[in-house]
Amino acid sequence: MTTRWRLIVLVPVLLVLGTAATEIILTLPSFGHPLTRYGMTVNTLAPALRNVSNAVTSVMYDFRGIDTLGEESMLICAVTAAVMLLRGRRGEDGNEQAGRVSGRAWAERSDAMVLMCRLFATMLFLFGVYVVLHGTVTPGGGFQGGVIAASSFTLLYLGGGYMVWRRMLHSPVLVALEGVGGLAYVLCAAVPLAFGYSALQNVLPLGNWKDLYSGGLMVIINIAVGIAVIGSFAALLLEFMEETRVPKGPVAEEDT
Amino acid sequence: MSVLAWCVVAWLLGIGVYGMVTSRNYVHLIGCLSVCQSATYVLLLGIGFRWGAGPPIFYDHPPGTPAVDPVVQAFVLTDIVVSAAMTALLLAIALQVHKKRGTLDTQHLRPLRPTE
Repeated sequence: MTTRWRLIVLVPVLLVLGTAATEIILTLPSFGHPLTRYGMTVNTLAPALRNVSNAVTSVMYDFRGIDTLGEESMLICAVTAAVMLLRGRRGEDGNEQAGRVSGRAWAERSDAMVLMCRLFATMLFLFGVYVVLHGTVTPGGGFQGGVIAASSFTLLYLGGGYMVWRRMLHSPVLVALEGVGGLAYVLCAAVPLAFGYSALQNVLPLGNWKDLYSGGLMVIINIAVGIAVIGSFAALLLEFMEETRVPKGPVAEEDT
Repeated sequence: MSVLAWCVVAWLLGIGVYGMVTSRNYVHLIGCLSVCQSATYVLLLGIGFRWGAGPPIFYDHPPGTPAVDPVVQAFVLTDIVVSAAMTALLLAIALQVHKKRGTLDTQHLRPLRPTE
């Protein structure tokens, strides 16, 4: 189908969907005056009922915790599928180079670059862990902090090169982190059920407002999500980096 | 000012859909899909916004002060992470398609046509 035909097909689609969307757009509240009583109620109740100062976290891990469990399953499924698609022959024997394009000049890394990358990778990872741990107190949480911590591994690759990267990151460890994080969340939902409460009911002591431990079960779910996100994104990164590697030895037969 | 947020949403969605429809490359198509997803983030945050309200995090200001809607923010947050993972999955599919078919041009990728 040529581009012109695609645009022609788009017109009736837009006519149908556009009229439906217009109906909805006209009923939207005006900007800055939301009609959402639910959110305002959560704002009032989260500090009072759960001793947490971050209302967003309380929505994610407590009031709508089952939704987030679904979201995290989606995340794990997507990452697992991507890893399965990408997984090929790996550079386990350790004499390969990654990310080189033949015919392009190759410059050695300067010591300053290596040092800065090591420093900043450490700091970025610590910052990610900090954001995860303070999820119930200040802006942050498992998802945000996990992505920040996982992005520190790119700096390791940038500074140390392929061999350092391979020595420090092991795919089974990352996949295990992902699975353990997901499992911990499921257990947080299932264990209260086994004792006769509702799923994800906040049965732990709530802790103090503005404290590192505040929100009871939310703290554990938060850390579990952080671990799962670190594992997933680092695994994705590892598999995509492996794609750039040029194997020297004979390549295994691919399934067709 | 109040229309600006909705205009950004419409613009992002519009260029995303136009890009997807006219796309000649699979990777470009994935990028356009991400642009469309960004429109939903702006839409959700715009719906939850309240004039004169602070963030829904009651650390510096006491509970009870006006704050924006935390529910839509929680949606956006998980949405961003999941969409990043979905983009990675689509890119992985693109890599495999390129390995099998040698092209990423959407014109030449007819799914039901066997490779010669």
